[in-house]
Amino acid sequence: MSAPAAVPGAAVPRTGGGRTGPPAAVPRSVVLGLTGLAGFAAVQEVAPRLLHLPADVLPPLSSILAALATEVRTAAFWSAVEATLLQWALGLGLAVVAGVGAGVVIGSNRVLRRMTASTIEFLRPIPSVALIPLAVLQFGTELRSALLLIVYASFWQVLVQTLYGVADVDPIAEQTARSYGLGRWARVRYVLWPTAQPYVATGVRLAASVALILAITAELIIGSPGLGQEINSAQSGGATALAYGLIMVTGIFGLVINVGVRAVERRMLRWHVSVRGETV
Amino acid sequence: MPRAVTRAGQILALPVALVALWWWASDGSTSIYYPPLRRIVDIFPDTWLAGGTDARLLTDVVPSLVRLAVGYGLAAGVGIGAGLLIGSYRALRELTEPVLEVFRAIPPPATVPLLVVLAGIDNLMKILVILFGCVWPVLLNTVEGVRAVDPVQADVCRSYGVTGTARIRHLVLRSASPQIMTGMRQSLSVGIILMVISELVAASDGIGFTVVQFQRTFAIPEMWTGIIVLGLLGTGLSLLFQLAENRLLGWYHGLRRAHRHE
Amino acid sequence: MLDVRGLRKVYESSGRHVEALRDLTFSVEPGELVCLVGPSGCGKTTLLKCLAGLLDPTAGEVLVEGRPVTGPPDGMAVVFQEYGRSLFPWMTVAQNVDLPLRHKRLTRARRAQLVGDALAAVGLAASPSAYPWQLSGGMQQRVAIARAVAYEPQVMLMDEPFAAVDAQTRADLEDLIRSIWERTGVTTLFVTHDIDEAVYLGQRVIVLSSSPTVVQEDLQIDLPRQRDQLETRSLSRFTELRTHVYAEIRTAQRRTSTPAAAG
Repeated sequence: MSAPAAVPGAAVPRTGGGRTGPPAAVPRSVVLGLTGLAGFAAVQEVAPRLLHLPADVLPPLSSILAALATEVRTAAFWSAVEATLLQWALGLGLAVVAGVGAGVVIGSNRVLRRMTASTIEFLRPIPSVALIPLAVLQFGTELRSALLLIVYASFWQVLVQTLYGVADVDPIAEQTARSYGLGRWARVRYVLWPTAQPYVATGVRLAASVALILAITAELIIGSPGLGQEINSAQSGGATALAYGLIMVTGIFGLVINVGVRAVERRMLRWHVSVRGETV
Repeated sequence: MPRAVTRAGQILALPVALVALWWWASDGSTSIYYPPLRRIVDIFPDTWLAGGTDARLLTDVVPSLVRLAVGYGLAAGVGIGAGLLIGSYRALRELTEPVLEVFRAIPPPATVPLLVVLAGIDNLMKILVILFGCVWPVLLNTVEGVRAVDPVQADVCRSYGVTGTARIRHLVLRSASPQIMTGMRQSLSVGIILMVISELVAASDGIGFTVVQFQRTFAIPEMWTGIIVLGLLGTGLSLLFQLAENRLLGWYHGLRRAHRHE
Repeated sequence: MLDVRGLRKVYESSGRHVEALRDLTFSVEPGELVCLVGPSGCGKTTLLKCLAGLLDPTAGEVLVEGRPVTGPPDGMAVVFQEYGRSLFPWMTVAQNVDLPLRHKRLTRARRAQLVGDALAAVGLAASPSAYPWQLSGGMQQRVAIARAVAYEPQVMLMDEPFAAVDAQTRADLEDLIRSIWERTGVTTLFVTHDIDEAVYLGQRVIVLSSSPTVVQEDLQIDLPRQRDQLETRSLSRFTELRTHVYAEIRTAQRRTSTPAAAG
């Protein structure tokens, strides 16, 4: 009521501290965040030396970076990055298309929704790694092996979120659209999709990181070409520093995915909230 | 026709139809990779249950589950504990957030080869793999939950002298519990994946180890029983989690329904 | 009982400088029911948070029974405006009322008795095991009042507790406050922006100016002690007092030179 916006403790949830603040020189959160990263890097550099850790346990950051610097000049590294990226993107793409498609079809039909609910609940938690032996027998180290695992794991994330989204459609909006004679496609386009969009975005965000986990798994276990396999061979070849470096690369990969997908999601959600703000 | 019967019919129809389809379509199968379901079902008891104390259920499934339980339990404890601490202090959160985001972003299977070297191929390595993979979703969701504690509820606690552990127990943990459970649900599916992977890399027992042994020795029907056991395990654990969540978050679902009908 | 001396509160954040309270001095005697009334945005919530020890004032002090307030004082109970957010949705009605009693070193039986009595006093004896979100807004605020009553405070602070309930419920709750005050004699400070409510409830009404806030007037309400929604409100004295307070607030608003200063 009368308390100015500066009341301590009145934290606004779901926004990064300082990110929404006035455009001061450098937000405190950025300074602290960089300090944290620098501190972590320093510990990584100094601790192995101080504790005299053998190089095959935890090499100092500088030798990890040096190993990585040599590695990025090789063609093998880039083809591994490309392979991982391709598997991830292809698997996620297939899962999103299939998940959204199936979610919209199932979600907009009550009987279909009820009939498939138990099956979805049963199939969804089946760990996709259970399919590894089958994938190995059927496809060997081909791309399809990795895709089977990635698509299976990510599909359910997208499907279930899409179903939530479709279930959230306001029946009154749906009836209004019907009474104005909007066809099935137009109703999907203008009523169902805008409601389901934020849910789908959540599903894609979850699926994106699951897809990466499964891509690395396939490379590591089945031996599909990619970063996972490179880590494995670096480790078994005694190049521990390189293995750490490659794990860092997968982390950066994951970070870019997380940040990217969240940025897209925030754009979608902002749009969603602003629309709701107008109608309420 | 009572509605319950219709409902049960709707729930069971598709699963029954799918199993029947599998049974029928595979019945005359001569493909070595896709044996008849009849044969898979036939050998299932022999494969997993026979042998008394040497049954694979006890020698392989139980060790896997124990490692999962220990790793997941530790991850939940560490994640919630550290999440409470980090979420309660803004400066600490801003200091650690980027580092945690980096660690969260590392796909956990990538660390398996290293952990094999660091911790050997015994239970310790597998538990560490599961712990490393499961801790981040719990930790980061707990931080989110703790920082989203309602300022009015926090004021209520302060003005009525509810402080210290009572405040954490009755306000912070409960208020953050929906986010904590979201994190724990994500962790559970990652944990199951890691349980299997850690056994595929190096192991002498465990369900993942056994299934791959079947595959490598071309014991294909047995391999299929293993896939079914893994599936049942995933579904069973998810069901247990759902039950726990309904108990812990009954208030939250009720609250959301109440808001929706306002 | 409650002394406010030269209270001042200035919010400072990233170059912004907002003076919410300028210079407030007043006191509340033991057993009094005092209403604080002021125009919207006059810093009522800021004042109440300073009194409750939830905010540190920039200058001046608050004393409860002669002791300066540095944090939330022991014998003080607060009823917040946002009933939907001040109750814990994961606790039942009885658990919500019981929570503040847990650290008071009471026997289990005594706590149960306090909870039961408080719920009976607010007319909720029948629903101790309901969850707050299963109740209407008015009932939720009753739970919050029961929580304050069970705490057995020396001072009860109420921050616009009825701002968000409908008129009928509001009248019922006003009478509930009067009856609890009559029965327990607890010193009560009731903050509101509703002039009728302030005059109807209070023995004294303190009129606040617009932000930056000072005390505009301290008014004794010489209405009969027994109040009744129909009778009291139809008294000509009620209308006079009401008109008087209204005029004061209008003056206060007109005198403010920078009306947009407060958030």
